[in-house]
Amino acid sequence: MKIKDKKWIRIRIYITGICFFLAFCVIFLRAYQLQILEGSQLSSLAKRGYTGKLTLISQRGTIFDRNGKELALSIQVDSLCCYPKEVKNKTTAATRLASALNLDKRDVLKKLHSSRSFAWIKRKVTPEEINKVRGLNITGIDFIKESRRYYPCMETGAHVIGFASQDNKGLEGIELEYNRYLEGQEKRFSRIHDALGRSLIFNGPRIERQDPFNLILTLDKDISYKARKALMKAVRRSRARSGVCIVMRPQTGEILAMAVAPEFNPNIFWKYQPYEWRNRAITDCFEPGSTQKTFLLAGALEEGVVSPETVLNCEKGKYAIGSFIIHDSRPYGMLKVSEIIKFSSNIGAIKIGQRLGAERFNYYLKRFGFGEQTGIDFPGERKGILRPIRNMSLVGKSTLYFGQGISVSPLQLAMAFGAIANGGHLMRPYIVKSIVDQKGKAIRNFYPSIRRDVISPETAERVRRVLEGVVRKDGTAPEAAIKKYSVAGKTGTAQKVDPIKKTYSNKKFVAIFGGFTPSDSPALVILVALDEPKGIPYGGVVAAPVFSDVGYWTLNHLNIAPSFQPETSLSASKARTLRKNRHDASHPGKEKIIALRPDFPGSMPNLIGLGVRDVLKKAKQLGLRVVIKGSGMVVKQVPEAGAPLTKDRSLTVIFRPPV
Amino acid sequence: MFDRRLVNNFDWILLAILIFIGLLSVFNLYSATHSIGSMGGSHVYIKQICWYAIGFFILLLMTTFDYHVLDRLAYPLFFISLIFLLVVLRFGKVTYGSQRWLSLGYFSIQPSEMVKISIIIVLAKYFSNSERTGNYRLRDLTKPLILIAIPFVMIVYQPDLGTALVLLIVSISIVIFVNVNWKSIAIFLSLSFLSAPFFWITLQEYQKKRIITFLRPDLDPLGAAYHVTQSKIAIGSGLLWGKGFLKGTQTRLHFLPQQHTDFSFSVLAEEWGFVGSAVILLVYLFLILWCLNIAKSSKDKFGTLIVVGVAALVFWHLIINVSMVIGLLPVVGIPLVLFSYGGSSVISTMAAMGLVMNISMRRFMFQE
Repeated sequence: MKIKDKKWIRIRIYITGICFFLAFCVIFLRAYQLQILEGSQLSSLAKRGYTGKLTLISQRGTIFDRNGKELALSIQVDSLCCYPKEVKNKTTAATRLASALNLDKRDVLKKLHSSRSFAWIKRKVTPEEINKVRGLNITGIDFIKESRRYYPCMETGAHVIGFASQDNKGLEGIELEYNRYLEGQEKRFSRIHDALGRSLIFNGPRIERQDPFNLILTLDKDISYKARKALMKAVRRSRARSGVCIVMRPQTGEILAMAVAPEFNPNIFWKYQPYEWRNRAITDCFEPGSTQKTFLLAGALEEGVVSPETVLNCEKGKYAIGSFIIHDSRPYGMLKVSEIIKFSSNIGAIKIGQRLGAERFNYYLKRFGFGEQTGIDFPGERKGILRPIRNMSLVGKSTLYFGQGISVSPLQLAMAFGAIANGGHLMRPYIVKSIVDQKGKAIRNFYPSIRRDVISPETAERVRRVLEGVVRKDGTAPEAAIKKYSVAGKTGTAQKVDPIKKTYSNKKFVAIFGGFTPSDSPALVILVALDEPKGIPYGGVVAAPVFSDVGYWTLNHLNIAPSFQPETSLSASKARTLRKNRHDASHPGKEKIIALRPDFPGSMPNLIGLGVRDVLKKAKQLGLRVVIKGSGMVVKQVPEAGAPLTKDRSLTVIFRPPV
Repeated sequence: MFDRRLVNNFDWILLAILIFIGLLSVFNLYSATHSIGSMGGSHVYIKQICWYAIGFFILLLMTTFDYHVLDRLAYPLFFISLIFLLVVLRFGKVTYGSQRWLSLGYFSIQPSEMVKISIIIVLAKYFSNSERTGNYRLRDLTKPLILIAIPFVMIVYQPDLGTALVLLIVSISIVIFVNVNWKSIAIFLSLSFLSAPFFWITLQEYQKKRIITFLRPDLDPLGAAYHVTQSKIAIGSGLLWGKGFLKGTQTRLHFLPQQHTDFSFSVLAEEWGFVGSAVILLVYLFLILWCLNIAKSSKDKFGTLIVVGVAALVFWHLIINVSMVIGLLPVVGIPLVLFSYGGSSVISTMAAMGLVMNISMRRFMFQE
């Protein structure tokens, strides 16, 4: 090689070396930037990548009725899930699972092909299904214990209690309204997982965990059942579209029962339509019809414009207001005010109204709580429509006296009757009595509250006397009478507005009966309303028997003494003291609370219907050794309840998830 | 046949560097494929040890003859490797959607690795035989450019764009090394810029995606940008001292893809931190500068050009791979020579290093 060549190459190599070195410097700087300058940020990103949270749903709180019977409870059941990436041969797996679980094969296959690392196949499966699936021996599927909501009373009280979703979120009713308390906090675990999301290390529970609270309702399960049965019977017989029956304590505003038709089973709520879930007692409004005359009478008596003995001309059943003629169902001549109510004369009501005046009547309607929410602890309450008087025509004002041109909810009506029953206090209705923690300690109690005083106790007493006439043999609702108990109430047969013609229909009615018993010291307000009964639509015929049926049963159930039959020989003062004593006796605070399951000491307790937790608690108390089979609720126990406790103290309990 | 001076001049330092890199590679592969679960590839490091054993044997083999033999064998070798390329196009094994491998029973070879070396030898021969000293005009370069174009097109057709690009860049490095005519370089560069849009059209959809996500990695962090994002997270989370041997979470938990091949540098950077990456980079820098030193002291132009070519090969592999892994370049499937797992790559690189050692040993011997 020539010297010149050599020198040339040397220079070249130096240049190349310098270029290479500079390129290395760039790489160095970049590594420095990534690992030193941005390092902490990137390492936290890495951490976020491989750590995660796993949440387990905790049990939901239990809902009890006023006597400590379960209305809604959570029980542990198994759910079937899959880890799609671990499932081999997805098509055959899907076919087998679908046939074992009675599912659609395509749905299962879709879940197995999911790109996620986890998917539910079927939530809340039965022990038979578990065994079937275990037998299939498919890798990548697993069972997870889940808590499931169970409503042991089925349809009874369903519209009040509502229901919770599979994920334990309250969706309707009390479950929704008090979801915050019932839910409890979730359990959280922090964990380390790989790129495919498979768990590697659990760091143990790391949570601010809170047990759910239980609720005690004002509802009485037995009364609710009775109300439901009676209402359903009437709905079936009259072929009504829907119906409502509210049982309420007038002194406190506690709701004892709220039956609604059509009914639904909250355990399988998804099989029903949303309109069937609706609590019509609170969310639906109708025209009150003649029941309105009760409040007209109350206002008129309170203002002193009439007395029950005042005689008014009922115009022989035809009365012209402007160009409009008002009819009575039967032509009446001169009637006393008490008789106007008893026979439910519309013309008579107009005559009373004319004395009271529309403005003052409207004022009393407002005082009785119409056109405003009752403030009940329930979602979706409607307040009805109470139009201002000044925009009303003469006819509108006149028809308002017998309950047209106003819309009210059944609950509003019940509360207004309650105000007549308890001496003039409009109460706030409530469903939840107290919120208690898992140890049974109340964290919040709810007490009766008076919204306002509407009329004086004297006026209320006079209205009650008049309303007692309604259920007499010659009144509009003799069928509402209850043997041995005095009853006061008012019928209503409201024409429904035809939504197309915008006029009152001659075929569609709402049959209503609202009242209370015993009338001289009311312990119960019962309101029954049936929407669009076929056949005879009168409230006294369709709704009143439900009142009588439910009232009679409930009075006996609550051990309320039969009414004193007023006799002429007894002086008024004596009657009053008698009444007073009886009032004390029927005070809600002194009610006897019936023990749930009486167990005899030294014998096997009755465990049927209990959940695992309760069984274990009881077994621990008695020192029993329990063998648990299955999951859900106890359906069978060996030895049976009442059997003497043997020496080995063993007990086998078989569980089954409720359907 | 053996001259004593050969033994005296044996390049122990080069051998030491290679052994050191080999050990690092095996350890790193052991860590990269050592997993908590049972996700395959756990015996990769043993295979790599075997490849290195064969590699060192070939390295020694390459020192036994006088490299001037290659002056005569250059074209035959080049054509043999081209034939291999043709065979792979016709009979090759398809993996990851391209035909790069020639299956030979127990193992597969990648003929494109052979081509890289033979093109270096061919170019070295061409430029050392040429009478000109630099200052080549473009028309003087017609023949070498055709020589480069043939294997380049064939490898692009496989398609293995990464290897093709390395081939092109290494060849051009050699051409630029011997040529000083700035005008030719300017013309060449402007031509390549003009052809860029045409080049873009011929790219595969996934390749376009890689370039787009390189420019905007936030567009698709779980799709096309996943590799680079995870790699950057792995490297960055190594911090100064690293997480320690076998402690890299991103590798262990399979967040990092291709952790034993193209992304092996990320594993090292995660477990040994900035210090570890600096050490490995310095070792490679030393290797390359050592090669350039050998090139400088070589007695003839042929030897110099071969060594410069091999140095360029190592240099570009390292720069492209590391830049990709740390997010300075779009994802190109190029391994880090000697460090990543790969039989063909290890063996061909060791053969090339054997040539360098051959030249190093014979630098004091006179020819002609």
